[in-house]
Amino acid sequence: MLYREAGQYKVSYQSDNQIFPILQDRIGILIILAIAVFAIPMFASEYMLNAILVPFLIFSLATLGLNFLTGYAGQLSLGSAAFMAVGAFAAYNFQLRIEGIPFLISFFLGGVCAAMVGIAFGLPSLRIKGFYLAVATLAAQFFVLWCLTKFSWFSNNSASGVISAQPLFLFGFPINTPTTKYLLVLAIVVFLFWIGKNIVRSSTGRSWMAVRDMDVAAEVIGIPLMKTKLIAFAISSFYCGMAGVLYAFCYLGTVEPDGFSLELSFKILFMVIIGGVGSILGNFLGAAFILLLPIVLDLTLPVISQMLNLPISGSTVSHIQLMVFGALIIFFLIVEPHGLARLWQIGKEKLRLWPFPH
Amino acid sequence: MSEAKTVLRLENISLSFGGVKALTNISFDVKEHEIRSIIGPNGAGKSSMLNVINGVYHPQQGTIYFRDKVRQKMDPTQAARQGIARTFQNIALFKGMTVLDNIMTGRNTKMHSNFLMNALWWGPARNEEILNRRKVEEVIDFLEIQHIRKTPVGKLSYGLQKRVELARALAAEPSLLLLDEPMAGMNVEEKQDMCRFILEVNQQYGVTIVLIEHDMGVVMDISDRVVVLDYGKKIGDGLPADLMKNPDVISAYLGTNH
Amino acid sequence: MLFFTEIVISGIFSGLMYALVALGFVLIFKASGVFNFAQGAMIYCAALAVVGLIDIGLPMWLAVIGSFVFMVFIGFGTQRFMLSKLVNQPPITLFMATIGLSFFLDGLGPILFGSDVRPINLGIVDEPIQSIMDNTGIGISKFDLTASGIIILLVIVLTLLFQYTKIGRALRAVADDHQAALSIGIPLKNIWTIVWCIAGFVALIAGLLWGSRNGVQFALSLTALKALPVLILGGFTSVPGAIIGGIIIGVSEKLAEIYIPPVLQDAFGGNFGGIESWFAYVFALVFLLFRPEGLFGEKHIDRV
Repeated sequence: MLYREAGQYKVSYQSDNQIFPILQDRIGILIILAIAVFAIPMFASEYMLNAILVPFLIFSLATLGLNFLTGYAGQLSLGSAAFMAVGAFAAYNFQLRIEGIPFLISFFLGGVCAAMVGIAFGLPSLRIKGFYLAVATLAAQFFVLWCLTKFSWFSNNSASGVISAQPLFLFGFPINTPTTKYLLVLAIVVFLFWIGKNIVRSSTGRSWMAVRDMDVAAEVIGIPLMKTKLIAFAISSFYCGMAGVLYAFCYLGTVEPDGFSLELSFKILFMVIIGGVGSILGNFLGAAFILLLPIVLDLTLPVISQMLNLPISGSTVSHIQLMVFGALIIFFLIVEPHGLARLWQIGKEKLRLWPFPH
Repeated sequence: MSEAKTVLRLENISLSFGGVKALTNISFDVKEHEIRSIIGPNGAGKSSMLNVINGVYHPQQGTIYFRDKVRQKMDPTQAARQGIARTFQNIALFKGMTVLDNIMTGRNTKMHSNFLMNALWWGPARNEEILNRRKVEEVIDFLEIQHIRKTPVGKLSYGLQKRVELARALAAEPSLLLLDEPMAGMNVEEKQDMCRFILEVNQQYGVTIVLIEHDMGVVMDISDRVVVLDYGKKIGDGLPADLMKNPDVISAYLGTNH
Repeated sequence: MLFFTEIVISGIFSGLMYALVALGFVLIFKASGVFNFAQGAMIYCAALAVVGLIDIGLPMWLAVIGSFVFMVFIGFGTQRFMLSKLVNQPPITLFMATIGLSFFLDGLGPILFGSDVRPINLGIVDEPIQSIMDNTGIGISKFDLTASGIIILLVIVLTLLFQYTKIGRALRAVADDHQAALSIGIPLKNIWTIVWCIAGFVALIAGLLWGSRNGVQFALSLTALKALPVLILGGFTSVPGAIIGGIIIGVSEKLAEIYIPPVLQDAFGGNFGGIESWFAYVFALVFLLFRPEGLFGEKHIDRV
C-alpha cells in the first residue's frame, strides 16, 4: 500500500534517468540523510561514531571502489588495500611537504596518486584475464607495501613506516572531535557515492558491464577494451585511495603499511561479494555486514558457550569467526550470488505488492 | 537504374587456424543497399567469413576492399567505427544488463562524453545521454520491444533476445549490417516478423545487409544475391533462382561423396 | 662461484617445494576447471591433522593415514556441500567460493587439532650430505634432496595417471566441458570427489614436507599464494609445467633476494631485504605480458 508506483509517470527521459525515480525512494533517502546529518551527531555515543559509523562509511567507500573494478567491469582485484595505503601515504606526504596546503587538496591528490598506481598495475590487464589478473593485483599488493616500508622517504624516515596523520583544519576550524570527523567523512562519502552513481548509469558504466559480460562482443560493437579497463582501474583505485586517506586521517590516526595487508584486501572483496556485485546499495550492506559480524560473534559466542557449558578460548572465537566468514561466503554464492542487494531488491518487489499476494 | 556501388569486395581470402583451413580463396562482392545471403552446410565457413569482414579474424591471404579502398588489418572496434555492425549466431548480449542498456551500448561509438563529464552528470553528458536515449527509443519502437525495455536480458525468450541483439546492432546506425543466423530457433511467426524487420531496415534505412541463413525459404524471399560456401570454398554466387538450379549447390546440400 | 651455485641449488629445492603446492592446484583445475584457492588451507589442515593425531598418542604412520582419511572427508564434503550446488556458475564464482572454503578450513583445522605450533619429525635430517660437502664444498641438505626425490616421483606418477589411464582421460574431458562430459556418461560427482581426494593426498605430502621444515603453523596456509606465480609460468593445466615453473621461481627469487638489496642499499641507503615477498609475483606479471597462457598452458581460442 505504501510502496505504490501507480500514478508516477515519467514524461521525459530526464526524469526516467533520475537516481531515485520512485517518489517513496526519494523521500526515504532524504529522511536517511537528515538522520545521518542531524540526528546521529546529536544522539550517537562517541563509541558509535568512532568505532562503528566512521569505519562503516570508509569501508563502504572502499567497497564501492572495488565494486567498480570487480563488480561492474569484471576485473578481479586482490590489491585494494594496497591502493588504500597509497592514498593514505600520498596524502600524508602532501600535507607534510607542501606548506599550508588545504587538506581537501591533499586528500584529492592522495586519491590521484592511488589512481596512477592503479593504472600502472592495470596496464597489463588487457592481455591478462581472470585469475591471472588476480595474481597481477597480488603483485601490486605486495610490491606497494614493500616499497612503502623500505623506502623510508614515504614515512618521513620513521621506523617500519609508521605515519601519524596531521591534524585537519577547515577554514581555521579544527576537525578533531568524533562528531566533526564523522560529518567530514559523511560529506566526502556521500559526494563520492553520488559521483559513483552517475558514472555507473552512464555510458562509462555500461561499457564496463559490457566488458564484464562479454568482452569479445563489446569489442565488436566498438567499445575500446583497453581504455575501458584502464578507466575502471583508475577510478577504482582513486576511490580506494580516498578510503585509505579517510582511514588514516579520520579513523585510525596512525597507520603503517602492514595495516593495509592482503587480509584487508580480502575483507573488502568479501564486502563486495556479500553486499552485491554491481550494486551501489550493496556496498553499504556488505560493509555493514562484515564490520558487524565480528562484533556480533564476540557478543554471542560467549553467551552460547555458557549456555552449552562449553568453555571457549579467545583464539577459538577467532577461529570460529573464520569458519563463519568462509561458510557465509559460500552460502551467499550458492543462494544469492548477487548478494544482500538482490535480497533487498526482492524485498522491495514484495513490498510493491503488499499487502496483496500478487 | 544507375549501377549500385560496391560496398565491400573480398579477393582471394584464405583463413586457417593452425592446421584447419576455414576459408580457401574466397572472392565475392557486396553492393550497396542489397541483401546478400551467405549459405552453405554447417561448417562451411560462413561465420568465419563474417568474422573476417568484421575484423575479428585476420585472413592469412587476400585483400578486403571497403568502399573501394584497401582495408588494412583492423580490429573489431575500428570496424564498428567505420559503420559495420553485426549480430551473432549464439547470442552475444550482455546478460547482466537490461534491454535498454544493451541497446544503449550499441550507441557507444556515437557517444563522446568522457568519464569525468559522466561523473558529474554535467550538462553535455546529460544531454548526450538523452539524445542517444531518444535514438534508441526509435529503434525500440521499430522493433516493437517497448514492453521489455527494462527487463534484464537474461530473462527473455530466445526469440526476443535475438530481436534485442538486432536492436543493438541497429542502434549504431550502421551502413553495413552482418547478421549471423538471425532466425535460428524461431517459429514461423517470429521468422515472419524478423523478415519484415530486415526488409524494412534494408528498404527504409538503406542499410546493406550480409546475411547468413539456413532457411531456404527466407533466403529465396528476401535476398538480392546469394553466395554459397562449402568446406571453406565458394561453389556458387548469383541470383537466388539461378543457384537453386546449380548442380554443385544441390549436391552440397543433399550430400555426395567428397 | 661456489656461493652462486649454492644459491641456485637451494633455489631449485625451494622451487620444488612450491611446485608441490602448485601440483594440487593443477590437479583440481585440470579436472574441474576450478581454481582452488583453498589448496593452502588444505595443506595446513592435513599437517594439523597429523600433529593433532600424534598428540593424542597415535604413531606417525597411523597419524598420516588418519590425516588422509580426514582429507578424503573434506573432499567429499566440499563436493557435496559446495561444488554440486555451484555446477553451472561462472569460474569466478567458483574461485570466490574456494576463497570462502579456505577461510572455513583455516578455522576448522585449529579448532579440531589445536593451534599450537608443532614440528613434524620425518626422521630426515636437515644437514649437508657429508660426501658432497667434502668433494665439492657445496652444502646440499639431506632433507632437501629427499624431499625433491619424493616430489619428482609424485609428479611422474601423476603425469602417467593423467596421460594413460581411463580415469585420467575422463578427468581431462571433465575439465574441458562439464556438460559434454556429463552427456557421454562420465559421472561428474565421482570424478570430482576422486580429484579432490588426490589433491588432498598431494596436500598431505606437502603438509608433511613443509611442516617438517617450518613447523606446522598458520603460515602454511599462505603457501598457496606463492604457488600462484608458479602456476602462471607453468600453466594451470600442466603437471610438468608446475615443476619447471617452480624451479624457475625458486631460483630467481633466491637470486633476487641476494643480489638486489645491495644495489638498492648503495643507491638509497637503508635495508632492502624482503624482496621475496613480491619478486615472484612481479616476475610472473612481467612474464604474463609476453605469454598470457604460461609456458605450457593451452592457448585459449575464443570462438564467437
